[in-house]
Amino acid sequence: MCEEACVYAPEVIPLSLCDYPGEPAIVIFFSGCNYRCGYCQNWRIRDQDRSHLVRLDRIERVLEGGRLVTACKVTGGEPLLQPGALMRIAKKAKSLGYKFGIDTNGTFPERLSAVLPMIDLVSIDVKTALNDLEYSKVTGVEKPMAARVIESIRIALESEAFVDLRMVVIPGVNDNAEVISSISRDLKRMGYAEKASAGRANFTLVEFVPENAGSREYAAMRSPSVDELLELGRAMQLRNVRVSHRALGYCVSIDRILH
Amino acid sequence: MNGKLPPPVRRSDGVIVPFNKELIVKSLLRETQLVKELYGERPLTEDEAKRIADEVQDEILGMRLKMLSGPLIREIVNVKLLEHGFAKHRNVYTRVGMPLYEVYKIDNSDGYESRENANLQPNPETFHKKKADFLSKESYLLMIPSHIADAHLRGDIHLHDLEYWGTRPFCQDWDLRYFFHYGLMPDGTGTHTSVAGPAKHAEVAILHAAKVLGAAQTNFAGGQGFFNFTVFMAPYLKDFDSKRLHQTAQMFLYEMTQLYVARGGQPVFSSIQIESGVPKVWQDAPVVSHGKKWTDLRYGDLEDTVHAFAVALLEEYLKGDAMGKMFNFPKPEVVQRVRYWDDREFEDVMLRAAELSAKFGSTYYDNMIPAYRGGEDGVSCFQCCAYSFSEDGRSENFHKKVMFEDGAHFSMGGMQVVTVNLPRVAYKSGGDEAKLIEVLKSTMDIAKEALMLKKATIKRQFERGLIPFASQHPRGAPPAVDIDNLSLTIGFVGMNELVQHTTGYEIHEDPSAQKLALKVLIEMDKIRKSYSDETGEKFSIARTPAESAAQRFAVADLIHYPKFARELVKGDLEKGISLLNDTKDIPVYYSNGAHVNVAAQLSLDQRLSIEQRFFPILKGGDIFHVWLGEANPDPEALMKLNMRLAKQSWVGYWSHTKDITVCRDCGYVGGGLSSNCPTCGSPSVKSYSRITGYYQDISSWNAAKRQELKDRYRVRLL
Repeated sequence: MCEEACVYAPEVIPLSLCDYPGEPAIVIFFSGCNYRCGYCQNWRIRDQDRSHLVRLDRIERVLEGGRLVTACKVTGGEPLLQPGALMRIAKKAKSLGYKFGIDTNGTFPERLSAVLPMIDLVSIDVKTALNDLEYSKVTGVEKPMAARVIESIRIALESEAFVDLRMVVIPGVNDNAEVISSISRDLKRMGYAEKASAGRANFTLVEFVPENAGSREYAAMRSPSVDELLELGRAMQLRNVRVSHRALGYCVSIDRILH
Repeated sequence: MNGKLPPPVRRSDGVIVPFNKELIVKSLLRETQLVKELYGERPLTEDEAKRIADEVQDEILGMRLKMLSGPLIREIVNVKLLEHGFAKHRNVYTRVGMPLYEVYKIDNSDGYESRENANLQPNPETFHKKKADFLSKESYLLMIPSHIADAHLRGDIHLHDLEYWGTRPFCQDWDLRYFFHYGLMPDGTGTHTSVAGPAKHAEVAILHAAKVLGAAQTNFAGGQGFFNFTVFMAPYLKDFDSKRLHQTAQMFLYEMTQLYVARGGQPVFSSIQIESGVPKVWQDAPVVSHGKKWTDLRYGDLEDTVHAFAVALLEEYLKGDAMGKMFNFPKPEVVQRVRYWDDREFEDVMLRAAELSAKFGSTYYDNMIPAYRGGEDGVSCFQCCAYSFSEDGRSENFHKKVMFEDGAHFSMGGMQVVTVNLPRVAYKSGGDEAKLIEVLKSTMDIAKEALMLKKATIKRQFERGLIPFASQHPRGAPPAVDIDNLSLTIGFVGMNELVQHTTGYEIHEDPSAQKLALKVLIEMDKIRKSYSDETGEKFSIARTPAESAAQRFAVADLIHYPKFARELVKGDLEKGISLLNDTKDIPVYYSNGAHVNVAAQLSLDQRLSIEQRFFPILKGGDIFHVWLGEANPDPEALMKLNMRLAKQSWVGYWSHTKDITVCRDCGYVGGGLSSNCPTCGSPSVKSYSRITGYYQDISSWNAAKRQELKDRYRVRLL
């Protein structure tokens, strides 16, 4: 049914209030991912399947019908696996006056670089300490290419886009002091502090929710408490650190909670 | 017969007396006078009464009883009345009450309507109320004309709050200036309670406000509220700093959720209208407070205080109670005006309102922007479960009321709601549209007749001083409530199922279905207008909250129209039918008002484009529900959504529903429905959601509403 103008995008949320900071947004889920994270809540769309194929013009119609939204976000899966479709959706969204953002795991720095001029918001996952040893523990792949993630973060921080770095905190997996200080060190080196002081970047610690995890191993783990997230947030010693937890409401800046 | 006398009689007034046939004759002659009063027909004659009494005595002798009781004699008399064809005389001679078994179950928090109203928690007051409700409902069904009672029992219509039929009007939005000028008499007469002069201090004013609603609840069946609350409170708060404003706001929220005294042990069903500034109508109006009308102070001078108090109230709502739980009352009705959105100064109120929606879902948005709301020149409010009341700026005495001339003030509220079962109208008309309007009209005619009867009954009670808080008129003031200004509301349930039966499509499935829904609504509005013109009363059409009616109609239709209803009722039909012989609390329902099926897979945009079209016609009230799927919505994103709903839609009233779980062990409060606490794992959790127009613990909902919650299609998923 699909020849060229198609995309693996099995789900669309016509109105989301928690995927684009400050904006009611249309969210488009691309399927397919090069990682295999056990905690992933979108594991059902980790692999591309023919049944996920949708004509791009259908997605464009959805964008045109969004009278209550102000932004569009593409997430997944990994959106940069389908850069052509992503560019076309970005152009359409911008032509309709929407803000446009993407989520990425950061493993495609060149492709990111190519779409960045169209992008208002880029969310990059920081799975754990930015080295292959730690990354392979979380991402479930042998060659996680952490160096490319670092490159993506660097490119994003140098761009005009707002940068939201997100880390899902899994007790016993990535919540130890070494991981936190290593991430903090790397980010400082990459120029996070400057961009954050200009109010153009933040770092969000996200509560892991076992009920939504794809693997049995992760489903049996526990979620972190608000206090644990705050503790880690403080230990980062960075500006604009936020936490996201069901008991707190939407991402809240730790400065606001502590004062 | 054999000349013997029946055994002595244990009377229900606590004495044992010898049997006396003459007492039966006397009571028949006395009590059947009601046949004349209630139905306009003749009472028994003395001869008829004597004949009945003779036969009763023979019957008793034949039974060879050792002991007799008053109630037993009455039952035998009733049988004899029926045998002689005196059915109506039997109606009024009936002893109303309930089986002992039911009383026993009520005391054990089970049985009779244990889930009819989710605000009623099991406690001694509630058990007492249930028994009184049962007795009252049964008696009113005997007292009103039988064709109206039958229409209710068959499920053609629903008479809401039937237990209060003969004693209480429905709901009221009060004008606080009245009490700030004349003071407070909780009993309405000053004979049974102390009488307070007008408040002179903020704390007293806030306590008076709380007590007005508490006292009012004893006179009314439904919601009690204050329109323009922040504006009318402002004169007491004008010199307060932020800390004292917060303290005052907090006092009010606690008073309204801890005055646990209304109608059988529940908090007052209350609402307050929160203006961020001073509406145009009130800008030049003289301030009324401290027992006087000020000559040198207008409400317009107090705008900064109104604004600061609105912020303080919303911030206190945001804090929640000492456990971190939401305040489910008074419902905060946050007014939407173009000025509050365009003037950045008010963004703090709009953002707090959005934060409150994101955290607890508790904000209601009262949107004055669409033209049909009457613009900036009238006075209008939503309250109770989304009923709407208004006074047009051109109406009689409007200016006098704004100026509080001779105590003239606003009194907006509802007399009674009677709801029409629309799916049944469709079944009866066999798919023929012309017939449909005919059946609709004849059903509405019964509703109208019931409403006029209610009005006459309550007006008589009011004039006799039997609704004393409402009829109070301290120191030559006009009565607190204008009894002739209360709306007679015709509600409806199941527009979606009406069009589904007639066109084959649900409202969201095809334009022909929407067209028919609009056509039916327009016809209903025409009929309504003809009633108003004919009677001079304020008739209105509203979507009914239908906490129990949406279920009751579905159940009634499964009994009377099983072939059609099985195709149309929503919920878990299989389970419902398997339970039907044992209970009427089964998980089936019709869609409320003209809402689309809650399970329809529509984006908010799509649902909005359908449902907003009904608002301009439903001036008596409607609500647009946004079921939030996300556990943590972003308040700023939610605020932007609100701005679009306010300025670009016809929706007059909406709310965001967020499901909330509270842990009773560790105190966790968070979004989503969980059976175990996400933090400490405890199974001792309570879940809350919006039932129809208010928040309550889900375990106290009826089976149909719990099913509806399961079926609700959230915005988040696709």
